[in-house]
Parts: sequence; C-alpha cells; structure tokens
Amino acid sequence: MTDDNQPRTDGGTATALPGDSHDDDHLPPRWSLKRWLVTTNHKDVGLLYLATAMFFLVFGGVLALLIRAQMWSPRAPGTGVLSAMAYNQAVSLHGLIMVFWFISPFATGFANYIVPLQIGAEDLAFPRLNALSYWLYLASGILVFASFFQGSSFAGGWTLYAPLNIPAFMPSIGATTTVFAIVVFCASITVGGVNFLTTIHRMRAPGLTMRSLPLFTWSWLLTAWMMLLAFAALLAAVMILLSDRMLGTTYFAATTAGGSVLWTHLFWFFGHPEVYIVFFPALGAMAEIFQTFSGNRIVGRKWFIVSMVLVALQSFIVWMHHMFLTSINLEVKTLFMATTIGISLPFDLMVFALIYTLIKGRIRWDTPMLYAFGALVLFIVGGITGVFLGAVVLDYEFRGTYWVVAHFHYVMVSGVTGLIAGLFYWFPKMTGKTYDEFLGKLSFAVYFTGFNLLYFPLFLAWGTPRRVFAYRPEYVGWHRLASVGAVILGIAFLLIIYNLAKSIVAGDDAAANPWPYSTTAEWAVASPPPIENFPGKPSYVSGSLEFLDDDATAAAAADGGTAATDGGHAALESGHGDDVHVDHASYWPVTIGLFTLVTALGLSGLQVGSYPSGLEGLFYQGASVLGVVGLLGSITAMGYENFTAHEGGLGEAWPFEGVENTKMGMWVFLASDVVLFGAFIGAAIFLRVAYGWTQWHPIPHNPIPGLVNTYLLLTSSFTVILALVAAQKRSRKGVVASLTLTFLLGLGFLANKAIEWVVLFSEGTGLDSSVRASTYYLTTGLHMGHVIAGLLVTAYLIWRAWNGAYTDGNDETLEYFGLYWHFVDIVWLFLFPLFYIV
Amino acid sequence: MARTKLYTGIYVALFVIATMQVAVEQIGLLESSYMLALGLITVFSLVKAVVVAGYFQHLVWEPRSVTYVMLLGFVGFLALTVAASYSIL
Amino acid sequence: MIPDSTAASVLQSGLVPQGTRVQVFSEIYWVFLGLGTLVGAVVIGYMLYNAYKYSYQGGVDEEERPKLGEVPTGGGKGKKLFLSLGLSAIIVISLIAWTYGTLLFVEGQTGEQGVDVQVEGYQFGWNFYYLDDGGDDYTGVNTTNELRVPVDTQINLQVTSDDVFHNFGIPQLKVKTDAIPGETTETWFEASDTGNYTAHCYELCGQGHSYMDAEVIVMEEDEFQDWYDSQNASTNNESAANVAAAGV
Repeated sequence: MTDDNQPRTDGGTATALPGDSHDDDHLPPRWSLKRWLVTTNHKDVGLLYLATAMFFLVFGGVLALLIRAQMWSPRAPGTGVLSAMAYNQAVSLHGLIMVFWFISPFATGFANYIVPLQIGAEDLAFPRLNALSYWLYLASGILVFASFFQGSSFAGGWTLYAPLNIPAFMPSIGATTTVFAIVVFCASITVGGVNFLTTIHRMRAPGLTMRSLPLFTWSWLLTAWMMLLAFAALLAAVMILLSDRMLGTTYFAATTAGGSVLWTHLFWFFGHPEVYIVFFPALGAMAEIFQTFSGNRIVGRKWFIVSMVLVALQSFIVWMHHMFLTSINLEVKTLFMATTIGISLPFDLMVFALIYTLIKGRIRWDTPMLYAFGALVLFIVGGITGVFLGAVVLDYEFRGTYWVVAHFHYVMVSGVTGLIAGLFYWFPKMTGKTYDEFLGKLSFAVYFTGFNLLYFPLFLAWGTPRRVFAYRPEYVGWHRLASVGAVILGIAFLLIIYNLAKSIVAGDDAAANPWPYSTTAEWAVASPPPIENFPGKPSYVSGSLEFLDDDATAAAAADGGTAATDGGHAALESGHGDDVHVDHASYWPVTIGLFTLVTALGLSGLQVGSYPSGLEGLFYQGASVLGVVGLLGSITAMGYENFTAHEGGLGEAWPFEGVENTKMGMWVFLASDVVLFGAFIGAAIFLRVAYGWTQWHPIPHNPIPGLVNTYLLLTSSFTVILALVAAQKRSRKGVVASLTLTFLLGLGFLANKAIEWVVLFSEGTGLDSSVRASTYYLTTGLHMGHVIAGLLVTAYLIWRAWNGAYTDGNDETLEYFGLYWHFVDIVWLFLFPLFYIV
Repeated sequence: MARTKLYTGIYVALFVIATMQVAVEQIGLLESSYMLALGLITVFSLVKAVVVAGYFQHLVWEPRSVTYVMLLGFVGFLALTVAASYSIL
Repeated sequence: MIPDSTAASVLQSGLVPQGTRVQVFSEIYWVFLGLGTLVGAVVIGYMLYNAYKYSYQGGVDEEERPKLGEVPTGGGKGKKLFLSLGLSAIIVISLIAWTYGTLLFVEGQTGEQGVDVQVEGYQFGWNFYYLDDGGDDYTGVNTTNELRVPVDTQINLQVTSDDVFHNFGIPQLKVKTDAIPGETTETWFEASDTGNYTAHCYELCGQGHSYMDAEVIVMEEDEFQDWYDSQNASTNNESAANVAAAGV
C-alpha cells in the first residue's frame, strides 16, 4: 500500500528522480496485446473485467448445465452423467464461480467504465491499483481453473461449511487451491474497494454533491463500502481455513468446540452483505434505465438513496438468519428475525419507487428497458418468496431445500438480469457501436422464458434437498422442466454474446447519446470516450453539466468553496495542464498478478505443514520460492516507478475534504484491516466462549516477554513520529536515524517473538496442540506478518531517505507509512492482553 | 516542531499504562477478582489505542469523517464478536 | 423478548397455529402462499398495467422531461411511495409477528414429554440412540438408519454429528435441524399416522450425501413397546454375555 504513495506525491515536482519520464502516457493502440497488459486506464480495465467475467459466466453456466443434466432423473448410486464427487465439485464451483468470479467482477466492469464518467473524474484515484485489482482477479480465476487439475477442486458447497472443508475430510490439493483463489480474490476486492471509495468521495466534479450523485454511482459507492468491510471478514475466514489446511491449526476441526458454528458465523457475516454487493449495482443500473426509458426522474430519489444506505448498514446485522437451525439461542433468533424484517422494508420502498417512475412516462421498450423491467419482476418474486424464509418456523422446513435454491436464484439472477440490461444500455458507449435491436429483444424473450422455466419449477419441487441427485420420483417432471429451462437460458446467453460480438465487428457507429432523456455525464462525451474522458473540466456548479477550461475550473471550485482546503495540492493537479502529463501504462500490475498466481499455486502444495514428496513437491516448492521473490521484486519496482495520476479534492470531496487521496486510501485500507483483525480476534473470543472462558489460559507462561514487546513496539511508533518530525525539519540524518531505529526495534520484536515460539515448540506446544494454541499462534502470527511487511517497507524507506527523499517537502509517504505502523502497534495493544494476560 | 514534546509525553504515558496493565496481573487481581481485572485491562487497552490513534495517527487533527470510517470497522468487529459469542451462551 | 405470561396468553388465544409440526407448517405456509400470490399478482399486475398505459405512442408531450447534463433530482409522488411502503410493512410485519407465536410454541415444546432419541449423523448414515424418560441417559437401545417411533407421541430429538456438518430432516413430518459435530441441537415432531417415512441429510457432507437417508417407521404404541422391549432385552443379554465372556 505505502509503496504506491511515492510516485504520486513526487509527481510534477520531484523531477530529480531517476526514471522520471512522461513518454508512456501514450498507450499502445487497442489492437495491440501489449496495451491490454500495461493499461491502467479505467475504461480499458472496465472492458477487461467485463470480458473476463463473461468467460466465467460461460464456465459457471457449463457447470450449471452439468448439474441440470444430472438432475434429469433421480440417480441410483453410480449412475448418471457425473460421479458423486464430480457432482459435488460442480455444485460447489458453480456457486463460487457465479458469485465471486462472474457477478461481482461483471458489476466491477461497469463501475470501472461508468463511475468515473458519471462523477466527472478522468480516471480512478489509483490507476495502477485498479489494474492490479484486475490482474489479481484474473490470477484468482486461473487458480480456480487450475484447482480442477490438482486431484479435485473444492467439493463442499460454495458455503464451504466446516469441518468438511479441512484436509481430514477433503484432502485434495485442488481444494486448497480453490480456497487460496478466494484469498487472492479478496485481495483484489480490497484493493478495488479502496480505490473506488477514494475516487467517488474525493474526485467528483464541482457541484456534484453526494445528494446529486447519479444512482448507479450511489449504488456502487455503497457496494464498495460493503465490499471493503464484508470481504475483510471473508478474508479472515478463508485465511484461517488456509491455515487449518496448510499449517495444521485446528480452528475448524470436528473436535474443536464451536469450530463448525464459528465458520457459519464468519462466512455469513460476509455472506449476507454479499447478497447486496451482488444486487446493488444491478439496482443502480435498473434505476438509471427506468429513468432514461420512461423519460421520468425517479420518484422519491432522496428516499431511494436513504433506503440503499439503510440496507447497506443493516446487511451486517442479519447474518444469523442463515443459521436458524444451528445451536444459536432463541433470543438471538428473535433478534435476527426482527432485523431481517427490517431489511426487507427499504427494498419495498425502492421497488415501489421504480414502479411509480413509470407513471406518466413515455416508455420506450428498447432491449435495456425490457431487461430492466424483467429484472424487477423477477426480483419481486424473489423478494416475496424471501419473506417466507423470514418466518422462522417456515425457515425451519425450507432450510436446505430447493425453496432456498429457487428463492436466491430469483434474487441473484434478477441481479444478473439487471446487469444485462446495463450491458445493452452502455454497450454503445463502451464500444462506439450499436447492437442489433431485434436480436436483443429476441434474446430477452428467450431469456425470460428460460429463466422462469428453470427457476419456477424449483419452487414446486421444493421438497428436494439441496445438492443431491437422488430425489423423490414425484419431482421428476419439475426437475426436467427446470433442465429444459436451463438449456433455454443458456441459449439466451449465447444469443446475447453473439449479438454483441457481431455488433462490435460489424455494428453501426453509435452516437454520443443514443438514448433520449438520459441525463448522466457519460452520455455527454463521445462513444467511446477519449482517453481523458472530457473535452474540458466537467462542472455542475451552474446547475447543469459544463466542460470548462482549466482557469475557469479553478475559479468555479473556489466559488464552491469545497476545494479551498486542498489549495496546497492544486499545483499537483494534472491532466490538461501544459507541463504535467498523467501516465496510463505500467508493467508492474500484471507482473504482480503473475507472481501472485505463481506464489499461490506453489503454496497450495503445502498440506498440514509439508509439501508432497518427489518431483511434485519440488514443483510446488520451486513455485513458492520463485513467486515470493518475484512478488517482492515487482512490488518494490512498482513502488519505485514514477507514475503520475490525477489528484482529488478539486471538486466535491465531502466528507473527506483536505484528506489527500493517498491518505484517504490508507485510512480506508486500515478500516478493512480493522475488520480482518477483528474477525481473527472475534474468532479467538468465540472459540474461548465455546470452550469455557475461564477454563482457557494464555499459552505463554509469563506476560513479561510480551510486555517487553509492547515496549519495543510503542518505542518504534515513537521513532516513526520522530522520523516525520525530522523530515519536516529537512534533516536527512534525522530521518535515516529514526527509521533505522524503528527497523531495529521491529527486528527486536520479531527476535523476542521467535525466542518465545522456539521455547514453546521445544516444550511440545505446536500449532495443532490445542485450539487455544492455534488461536494464539495464528492471531499473533498474522500480526507478525504485518510487522514483517512494515519492516520491509521501512528498509525501502531508509534506502530512499538515504538518497535524499522525504526531506524535500514531500514527506507524505513517511506520514502514511506511520499510519500503518501505528495501526500495527494498536492491534498489538489488544492482542497482548488477550493472549498473554487474561 | 512544537509537537515533539507532546509526542514524548504521550509516549511516556503509553509506557506507563502498558506497565500498569501487566501490574494488574502481577498483583494477582485476576485470581481474586477476575471481572474487575478483565475490565481494567480492557480499559487500559482502549485508552492506549485511542491515544495512539488520536495523536500518533493524528486523528484529532483530521476531519471527523476519518475517525468514523475507523469506527465503522470497529463496530463491525464488535457486532460480529458480541452477537456470535452471545448466540452460543 | 416477550414476557412469558404474554406469550402464554397469546398462545392460548387460538390465533396462533399450534399442533403437530405438519399442522402448523401447512397452516402458516398456505396463508403465506395465498397472501404472497395476491401481493405478487397485484404488484406485478400494476407494473404491467403502467407499462402498457404509458408506453410511448408519439403524440404531444405535456411533461417536462429530463435533459442531458442536468443535476440528478427526483420526481414527486412521495406520499404515494410512503403509503405503499406503509401497507407492505404492515403486511410483512404482521405476518411475521403472527408466526412468532408459533415459533415460541414450537421452541417451548421440546423435551417435556414423549420419547427421547439422540440422533448422530456420520458420513453417510444416521445412528439413533434411545434415551431414558428424562432424556438424559442412553438406555442401550440403538439403531442405524432406521428410526422407530410410536404414533401420536411427541418424539424429542437431540441431534449431533460424529464427523462433519449434517442436517437431519424428515420432510413429511416437517422436522429438521442441524447435526453439528461437538454441538447438540434439539427439536421434536409428532406423527399422526403410522407408516414409513424417509429422513434425509440437508447439508452437503461429502461423496455419499445424496444417499444419506434413514427410514422412519411410525408404529402403533403397543407395537413400538414390543419392539422396544425386545431390543432392550437383546441389549441386556448382549451386555450380560459380554460380562460373562469377560469372566467376571
């Protein structure tokens, strides 16, 4: 994270740096493969996301068809298209791929392309990090693909319930790779979330206040907030799972009290917000399309936004409604039943708002409107059948049956339908071509028929348990109907893909604004938009969108008063200026993605502390080493690369005026890290409660070595502060000395910890000795990982400081590193008492 | 920088609180009155965290929104931990 | 939480569905299905009506339409919006609140009377251990993949797992609960008719998940007693034999 700060703040002023060149702001042409590898432009990255997500749609769709083929008849043991294990893999990976590698990235593709245009930004705040999130996403997708060839992919359902997910019950290396893929995917989401939140909060055009943000951008803003926090919890869950699989901790072992229930808590704490993470972008797209194609502004816009905010907040307090049949108590069931009703109400309002928007409209039934309207119908069915599940007594019977399957497909795939609407809506903008309207309408007819033929019979066959292929013969008819529907829905997707592919090659050129009554800024620029998006500085100050030249913008911003606090940064602003060029190309994101893939592939071979024997083991070990070395090298190189991006805070930046982009990015990242550590600590506390709080004693015999480490970390925090003070006094020696001291103190912390662990190991207390030992080693180990990462950055900073950086007035990097380091310190302030004293 | 004195004072205070935290254990308060000791230790940790975040990370001088972002993460942690632990009591 | 006395009075009012789980489920399910269908039909019908009525047909346009580049704002009709929200809130909240009474009834029913059985899931089958009257101690009678119970009697299940996460459910008797290793969940059911039923596993548990069934045989009270006594006797004989074999 911190490495990315350096070039940005240097941009424009630190011309003495080596490698400083503005030659690469011209990207290779679109037909060149190189362009797509090095691009950091938000529109290119958006297209990469969309194309890759479509590939995973086909992948997940093929798995779905395999499931439906198996369900054609109730299968006797050993018969059918798939073996039992193949079937389990198909259902698990269908779910995982559709949720993680299709829907969310598909929405991310639109967000990448459209959100900066809608808010009047020329790119995202951190273009290279944006490219990096794409490459991490692709790396994670390739890992999923690879997992099928490593024995067996994950076969325990997309919910990965414990303890089926541990090696004792699922020993294949492929299963580890699948989990690792989710870890990498979480990293991609976190990087992307930080980027979008900084961008949307800080890079809006003057006059575009939060209240007047377009609804698609609003929906994505809330999606990004939910992603940031929910995926941090998932990251904790899958990291703990990986630790159980690779290192041999025993969090989820069948013998661990509370272990299985812990998984359900961690997973669903993420899992329920995930439903809205998937659905919100579609809702935003539907809102835009309803407005454009009915020629009306949305009814109750303010309340629509309030509803979305409420849902985003409430989504974090409903997770236990997925757990009504576990051993949770009646009081908590009652509470979560109430919150579940609560979260349905804002949705009612949003649905009605969309419907009332049609009234007195001039509704044009172009393909996007057909899909958006269809999506709303499907969502209503999904919503009503969801109310059944909110009644706990009914949920008791529906749990684990096809009622749930049918319900969430109506909800999730109605989201897909809304995004398909968006695909047709924005296709002319993104490609500059017009799609075939007849084929589009035809595809909708096929799609809507296929959808309902596929999912509605599943309500009627709801007595079927989930994820089985032997079911009561009375349901054969419904399941066959569903299988036929699946084929039809598949054909609809092929029609969509054919239509769009054909149109890209041979479609008519699209106008800048093909849709009457559209209002948002993306329609005010050419199709496709030029690399810098706008012909001038976009501004809404006058009450409607204008493109101003630079001087006028500065005046307008000053009038608005919002940019005043950022005055100091105005000189760094770039884009249309004469002497500053922003960059669009970097090799490092794709390189980091590649080495992440190699690292993950290598480490996946690690099973409960050891690699496989022979050549196979050699391969995994080699890949691990190569990957880690490559990762360290490429991250350093990216940190050192001089890359200029757009600065924020020139227009609307509420509520983060005066918090420079990189600083805000750092804070947002730290908020996600709070949840990550929070989930680890929460897991330890939960397991301790399940075990019996007072029967559980600290693993270290004596808190004094821990206290010494507390002193060391506190002192190192202090020396980081001194480094910043020295930088402000322009004292190179002071900076180098303080940072070196920080480094040594951190090293001391690690050495002390190492001694503690060696002693514990020699006494026979290993990671797998008890769940008590597992939580101690893993939680403090995660913290140690943070310390090590911090020390690597410190070493880099010392080297840069020695060469004269940071004492030239650009000391932000030191400040932002300090934020991270103090955070690591704060975490220890909680870990120390929890694992050493009480 | 005039704040150096302030930073030094805070550093000393943190050092002292950390020591007091362990002192609670060393004098045997955990054995004699567990809940009181647990409460004290938690409060000490919270105070240290707030001070580090407030001054070393200069949250007191930033727009309040940054603090709220961090609190959002912290509330998420509390919701998960408290509700999950309560659910199995 | 609703105080016990209030809960009791609500339960006795006759408003709240009570009885076997089959009865309460079907009563609530049909009410939900009826109302759900009605609401769905009204809302979707209204959507289609407006979609048809306001379709573009050319002609003079009297409305002020959105323009490209305007600052996004909303249209009116706020009152109508909140009226609809209020109506839907009343329906949803009253429906769920109504079923909450049944939830209290269902949850309050466990373990007070009837036959107690411990159910243990394993990959891939079910063990049933019959417990004594209090539901505390194992009587020595056990079966595998076959649960025999008397008709018209409350059967209390204490469900757990020997290995992974399973879920025990008998769909026709509308009973279901998670089988979690290291945890015990409690539930109950009552069969009104003798006959054979099937229990399934409702949580993906591995290779044999699809076939992880158990037969549930509901017998007349006296038949069940005969069967139980014979099992008990053979268990006792076995343990006697074991004791003898051990040479004590």
